[in-house]
Amino acid sequence: MNIMTLQRYKNEIILLLAILFALFAFIYKLSATTYVKENQLQIQQQINEVKTVVNLKKQWDGKGMSKKIKVLKSLVPASKVKSFNKKSKKLIASYASLTANELNKLNNKLINMPVQIIHLNTKQSAKNQYTMEFTCKW
Amino acid sequence: MEQMSLENSVEIILTPQFYTFIRENLDVKFSYQAKQIAASLFDDYLDPNMEHQYHVNKCDGEWCFFAYNIEEIDQFLASKGIEKHRVSKIYFAQQLVDELEKPIQLSEKNSLQSIDGTVTMIPNRLLNSDTEFQELNFSNIKLNSGITMGASLNSFISLKETIILSSLFFILGAIFISEGSRIKSSIEKEDAVLTELFNENTSYTNSAVRQSVLEKYKKIDKEEHAKRQSIKEISKLLSSKSQLLNLNIDKNKITATIKTTNSSILKQVSSHAKTKKFKSINDGLNVKVEKQL
Repeated sequence: MNIMTLQRYKNEIILLLAILFALFAFIYKLSATTYVKENQLQIQQQINEVKTVVNLKKQWDGKGMSKKIKVLKSLVPASKVKSFNKKSKKLIASYASLTANELNKLNNKLINMPVQIIHLNTKQSAKNQYTMEFTCKW
Repeated sequence: MEQMSLENSVEIILTPQFYTFIRENLDVKFSYQAKQIAASLFDDYLDPNMEHQYHVNKCDGEWCFFAYNIEEIDQFLASKGIEKHRVSKIYFAQQLVDELEKPIQLSEKNSLQSIDGTVTMIPNRLLNSDTEFQELNFSNIKLNSGITMGASLNSFISLKETIILSSLFFILGAIFISEGSRIKSSIEKEDAVLTELFNENTSYTNSAVRQSVLEKYKKIDKEEHAKRQSIKEISKLLSSKSQLLNLNIDKNKITATIKTTNSSILKQVSSHAKTKKFKSINDGLNVKVEKQL
């Protein structure tokens, strides 16, 4: 192809280059869209996974729970606490002669603590009197 | 003109037999506008059966129009052994109008001279015998506004269409590129968040580690959530007319016995328990509710 042919078809060549440019730009846009679609989902999943793991671990790893759990002993009069055995990361406690109010307080406190309730047993011992025993770990 | 063989590119000056020249004083500003009306100016002068190309340039405040047939020029040059690609530029002899006040001798038969501002080919026999011919020194002459052979051959698309279409495609391309860049950068923010999370929790960069931790704590979370939710639901079944007799949570089961004061309360408690997906068993005025965790 000599210079003359190039000059003869220069309009067509310019137009062809412009079309090629637009075509490559379009392919670039398509590849960018595909790349983002594929990776965005993956990245979002990873972010959610890490956040969930961090939150769950923070909630259930029981850091500082050994101190916090003691509140279950002081929530009701000491005379009503029959036993309160805390060993390592486990608590076995039993209460007697609890009023409905005290039982509610204890229950609420227990279920709002991030501990695993292994066993819970509440019984009405007399009218408006309850016994409660539970085992929990963290 | 003699046959020749060229090693380098040459510039050609066309003598008037290869073109038709018209000078017009037109009220147009740009040469492309003048070129648009060129064909109509030559209507009466040219053979309509032949294809012609047109060239326009400004000369002394007027427009100089040239009509030529590039095929004819091409054939002539080829007959003289001048290849197309050796011709870098073609000029019209009219551009030498000022230099040709005195004639130059082209051959034994013809000379070239300006007559009334138009460069004209004159047979030598019409000139006086004492006419002095001049030699042109092209190193002192500056020629401009020439044509190229390639450009003179017709393109399928006009220059105007080329400019419009090319501009559109370039704009479209630029839009696609900017859009593509914007889309790609949209992921960068999330990528940065993930990197920061990984930096803060280096042990969780490994997916297997994450999965194992997740599995352990998700199970605990699900079970404990179910226990607490069930306790809350049983609490809602209690009122001044229904009392809790016992509540028991084991590994995977929660049971409670509720004492009611009359059969309508019994029915009410029982139906509420069922809506909360508890299994309920009535025993007199007592209701035993249970649910698998």
